[in-house]
Amino acid sequence: MRAPTIAMLIVGLALWCGQTLAQPSQPRYSADGLYNLANSYARAGKPGLAVLNYERASLLAPDDADINANLEYVRASAHVPTEPRTRFARIAQAANPTLAAWIGVLGIALVGVGLLASKLAPRFQWLRAGILLGVALIALTVSNAMLLWPRMHEAVVLINQTPARVSPVPMGDTAFVLREAETVTMTAEHEDFILIRTRGGLSGWVARANLGTVVPQVSVYPLQSKRIPR
Amino acid sequence: MHCSKVIVAILGLLAPIAIVNALAMADGMADAALAYETIEPSRIRLGDSATIRVTSLDGYLKGVPLPTVPGLTFEVLGRSQGLEFVNGKSIPSTYILIRVTPQFVGLFSIPGLTPKSPSLGLEVVSGDEPNPYALHSHNQFPKPLPVSPAPIPKGIQLKAGGAAFVQLVIPTRAVYVGESVPVDIEVGLRPGIVTSMNGLPTLSGDDFTLNNLSKQPKRREQVIEGSPFVVMTWHSVLAAVKPGDFSLSVETPLSVKINTHSAEDIAIAARMGWPFLQSMYNGIAPRDITIASPSTELKVLPLPTQGQPKDFSGAVGDFQVSSDIAPARVAAGDPLTLRLHISGVGNFDRVDATMFERLDRWKTYPAKSSFIPSDAVGYKGEKVFEQPLIAALPGEQTIPGLDFSYFNPNTQHYERAHTQPVKVMIAASLADSSLSALAGAPSLNGAATNQSARGLRPDHPRPQSSVSEMRPLYFQAPFLAVPATLALILAGSWFAVRPNPARATSKSAERALAQLDAAAQSGDSSSFFAVARTALLQTFAARWQMSPDQITVAELKARLGPAGEDIERLCALADEAKYSDYEPGSTDFQRWLRLIRGQLTGERE
Repeated sequence: MRAPTIAMLIVGLALWCGQTLAQPSQPRYSADGLYNLANSYARAGKPGLAVLNYERASLLAPDDADINANLEYVRASAHVPTEPRTRFARIAQAANPTLAAWIGVLGIALVGVGLLASKLAPRFQWLRAGILLGVALIALTVSNAMLLWPRMHEAVVLINQTPARVSPVPMGDTAFVLREAETVTMTAEHEDFILIRTRGGLSGWVARANLGTVVPQVSVYPLQSKRIPR
Repeated sequence: MHCSKVIVAILGLLAPIAIVNALAMADGMADAALAYETIEPSRIRLGDSATIRVTSLDGYLKGVPLPTVPGLTFEVLGRSQGLEFVNGKSIPSTYILIRVTPQFVGLFSIPGLTPKSPSLGLEVVSGDEPNPYALHSHNQFPKPLPVSPAPIPKGIQLKAGGAAFVQLVIPTRAVYVGESVPVDIEVGLRPGIVTSMNGLPTLSGDDFTLNNLSKQPKRREQVIEGSPFVVMTWHSVLAAVKPGDFSLSVETPLSVKINTHSAEDIAIAARMGWPFLQSMYNGIAPRDITIASPSTELKVLPLPTQGQPKDFSGAVGDFQVSSDIAPARVAAGDPLTLRLHISGVGNFDRVDATMFERLDRWKTYPAKSSFIPSDAVGYKGEKVFEQPLIAALPGEQTIPGLDFSYFNPNTQHYERAHTQPVKVMIAASLADSSLSALAGAPSLNGAATNQSARGLRPDHPRPQSSVSEMRPLYFQAPFLAVPATLALILAGSWFAVRPNPARATSKSAERALAQLDAAAQSGDSSSFFAVARTALLQTFAARWQMSPDQITVAELKARLGPAGEDIERLCALADEAKYSDYEPGSTDFQRWLRLIRGQLTGERE
């Protein structure tokens, strides 16, 4: 009885491994690759796709001067208004998000170890400096995350004269028209439509196919309206 | 005979005057303001009432101020709508009816109720005077010569003293339940005698539905029995709601001047022509009546149940279907529109979009329909359904053919029309194609350079590192486990290394008890009591959170009760042993050891 059980386990494990290996590999992203792709779209006269890929590249490398310069250049060429970053945003986004994440971990470690050491050896006052440094690093990471959080729900208009409708149906009345390469904020979704808000504060439903989300998402058709958490 | 010749001669002289007056009145009506009023009758007996009719030809009349005339009372009776005949043309008009009741005999002048309108005259006579409506001399006329009447068209029955008729023209064949049948309704009116039409024709009975009739019917003029008639024709569609044998007729409300003259007078006037005949109706108050058409039989058959398709929606007629799609090539997620054209004749209101329910492999939205009639009543035309479709997957997709079932009354069978399947090419969505192009980015560089892209900074070298998730690390759940675990470990360590006062006290107490044991065994009372006092005071100080110097005798007694006195005694013995060489027995050492141990270890309990 033991041999068949072991054989079944081996077969099951083999099937599981095969199924896992057979799954399509996830795409790999790099700031340079996305930047080059965006340049290609810009040269091909597709500002929507160019801005989308610059935005994605900027997400991975926010301090890359080339990315930011080309992003602003393409937006200006497409007559899409841009908002200059504040000084606070520039400082907080000086590090790329991956580095900022590990800086936060380092900050937690510094604060924890500093507290432990000061408890065990109260005579060493300089340990408090380590605690303060750790708090500063954590604050940098939190600021970085807070500034990037809205961009998790941003999308770029890919088609010129995209209609924003008053209701999430193809025959809905057009509330206003979006320009290609315009960046909008997604606030809710319903089936094939996404409720967007422009920088100017206008809201309307846009067909999902006309938008490219800055953070690529798996596209599914939800059964009911779903509000994107802000 | 002689008298009749005289009257004819007089009327002959008056004829040109009457014609001129009639034309002048008509022109004046057309050129004057679009609201005016008339009073009927203008001569009444005391105790009777006259009616002022304020007519507006240019839309709804809000109201008119009632005049103040001594001896007359005015009362608004109500409003009505109808058609006014001016210069032989029918104009939609609204009326306000005002009743005028005199209080005494006299000749009254009523000021105009609408701007620029002249005043109205009303003569009120006493009740014993002859009937003011009567024609005084009609009995004196001899019998007129018989007038040969012109033939009346088939199906027409003149009503209201020959002043109007209404006719319903329907097919002679049997019809089916729900089938739309074109019908014609004709209303003939004699201008001048029929003063207004007070509503549209209505169908009697509720077994049929009749489409809304237009307020602008087709109009023609026709002479019937030597008199001119204005004939208005409405084309409409009739539908039966249940089977059976029915008798149909239409009714229409009118205001007609009913002539009280004798038939001989009317015949004479008719021989002299329309102006003379019209003049006989002057001064007669119009009366509201309703005339009906002759009944017409119609047989309504039920739809056969045998062979009725499951998707039959009640469409009866003769239809053809076709379909098209636009655009033929879209990106995944983009909507495309499938149009289904259903043309022909029949009840298009029962043609619905149930055929789209078979598109289960496509994402659909509610279809929109529009109807383009090719006749005035919507019996013939084309109904177009626009069905938005969205394909979720890219590639060549096929939209299946659509079936439409209807009952054809000509063949008396159910028939099925169907469209051909349509192929469309669905491309990958733009956002997805952008990501898939990431691997082949250099190939895009070969594309023609856009004029606006010349100020771009150059490409970067081929990337060395890449990530599988674009979401920042601190928003990824697996990574968040790292700082959370680290924080937990550090918090646990902090609690682990926190100094424990109880444990420290117990260690010092154990050390003190060991010293006490050693001193007791060696009989060193001075060391014994000194160590005991120090250990006890330190223990109490730690327990009571105060300095050992602050512990007084009163404090010991208050906190320890009777044991406090023993501690006080122990402290006194420590001083005594230190300064006077007090030597307790071995029994005393054991007693003091028990006491001290109890106090020192009491914390652990």
